[in-house]
Amino acid sequence: MTMTDSEKERYHRQMIFDGWGEEVQQKLMNSSVFIAGAGGLGSPVSIYLAVAGIRHIRICDYGMPELSNLNRQILHDDTRIGINKAVSARDTLEKLNPEIKVTAITDKITEENVEEIIRDVDLIVDCLDNFDTRHYINAYAVQKCIPMIHAGVYGMRGQLTMIKFPETPCLWCINPGSPPDTMFPIIGATAGVIGSIQALEALKYLGGIGSNLLGKLLVWDGAAMEFQVLPQHRDQNCPVCSRYHQSHEFC
Amino acid sequence: MNLSTSEKERYTRQLIINGWGEDGQLALKRSTVFIAGAGGLGSPVAVYLAAAGVGTLRICDNGALELSNLNRQILYRDTDIGKNKVMAAEQTIKSVNPEVTVEPVTDMIKHDTAASIVGQPDIIVDCLDNFEARHVLNDYAVQASIPFVHAGIHGLSGQVAFFYPPETPCLNCVFPGTVPQQVSPVAGVTPAIIGSIEAAETLKWLLGIGVTLKNKLLIWDGETMDFQKIEIKKNPHCSVCSRQ
Repeated sequence: MTMTDSEKERYHRQMIFDGWGEEVQQKLMNSSVFIAGAGGLGSPVSIYLAVAGIRHIRICDYGMPELSNLNRQILHDDTRIGINKAVSARDTLEKLNPEIKVTAITDKITEENVEEIIRDVDLIVDCLDNFDTRHYINAYAVQKCIPMIHAGVYGMRGQLTMIKFPETPCLWCINPGSPPDTMFPIIGATAGVIGSIQALEALKYLGGIGSNLLGKLLVWDGAAMEFQVLPQHRDQNCPVCSRYHQSHEFC
Repeated sequence: MNLSTSEKERYTRQLIINGWGEDGQLALKRSTVFIAGAGGLGSPVAVYLAAAGVGTLRICDNGALELSNLNRQILYRDTDIGKNKVMAAEQTIKSVNPEVTVEPVTDMIKHDTAASIVGQPDIIVDCLDNFEARHVLNDYAVQASIPFVHAGIHGLSGQVAFFYPPETPCLNCVFPGTVPQQVSPVAGVTPAIIGSIEAAETLKWLLGIGVTLKNKLLIWDGETMDFQKIEIKKNPHCSVCSRQ
């Protein structure tokens, strides 16, 4: 697919990166990304992937924006209260970049429908707020060998890693089980920092530039402004990924 | 001044942060932040400070929007091309949070106009793209004793510092002089990360929570994802802050 003059102009400032150029931009434009969650993390992730020119974005959320979401969910505003978040996201993203196509998925992700919802994408970005659903998409990502960028936020803290079966531990190896759902503190800037780093990891992976946080967990403490990168290890008995490792049944 | 029922609802999830509370939210509401530059850095800074409920955002930029800005300047849409940036920014910021007062400023900051343009905000956030203008702003911040959150980006890398002399060095102590301006490569994610860090630093200062990057320079390399925090020191002979 060739680039139009208007696309060349829109992406000019990123195409002049050393090693980016039209070739990397084409890769980005031909990529498809599944974004699980159109909330605090999903906002900067989808916005910055959209403006970078990812042409196919599938964004999934079954919730509707509430007033108490708007301190951080910058995809939505007061006029979107009461409509589905994925639909609201599509409206915002297609205005930010009319050159891209956004598919809004309004279903709740379950173990049964995860395949039908995610399908064949180049990359999954985990912008969820609960581990139950994260584990459904992790199991699917492992089974299909689709890389996944996981992140979680709490208050002024956040964590992030890239999972790529079979090279790295899976999400269950790193965070087995699910902590109870609670209403946790969160501000927009936290989601902004962590979600933007997720978007960068996605662009680096899809464009084939730089190195990714593979098997490494980035932990950010915004109150102290400290960043740490912690190595992660595979659980040999992981109920999600060990059987694929044992059978060498890699996709 | 009290928070309305709707404000309490909007800010529920941050009111429960340790040390934030209704008093903190009211302090934000009474605050004025001066945002210098409404481009790649100014976009996430303005959006996240507005969403957090900072009362007044005074945002300054003399440029008009171009198509090649739209890979990173998320305050704008294609329909804003050709318009003055801050006038378009005002619309976006008001839709992010209608409770916020926006003061768009379309003038260029110069030595003789800095006092009237910047005024007396609680804090200045540097979202500029050149050191010449940064030094003008730094001179005024030092003279008027206003804290100054500095950031700069280049390619996939960026840096942030919190200047507030005499407690810390000023911009001129650490980065004397200017570098020639050129069209440098930039993607949206770099200013997104660095700008969100600037927004977090600003909120921490206004709320009096956490530890800001005083006397530190945060250097971030997006290609390798390395973060470094290095000590920075006052220049005892600094032409800007040593006389203060």
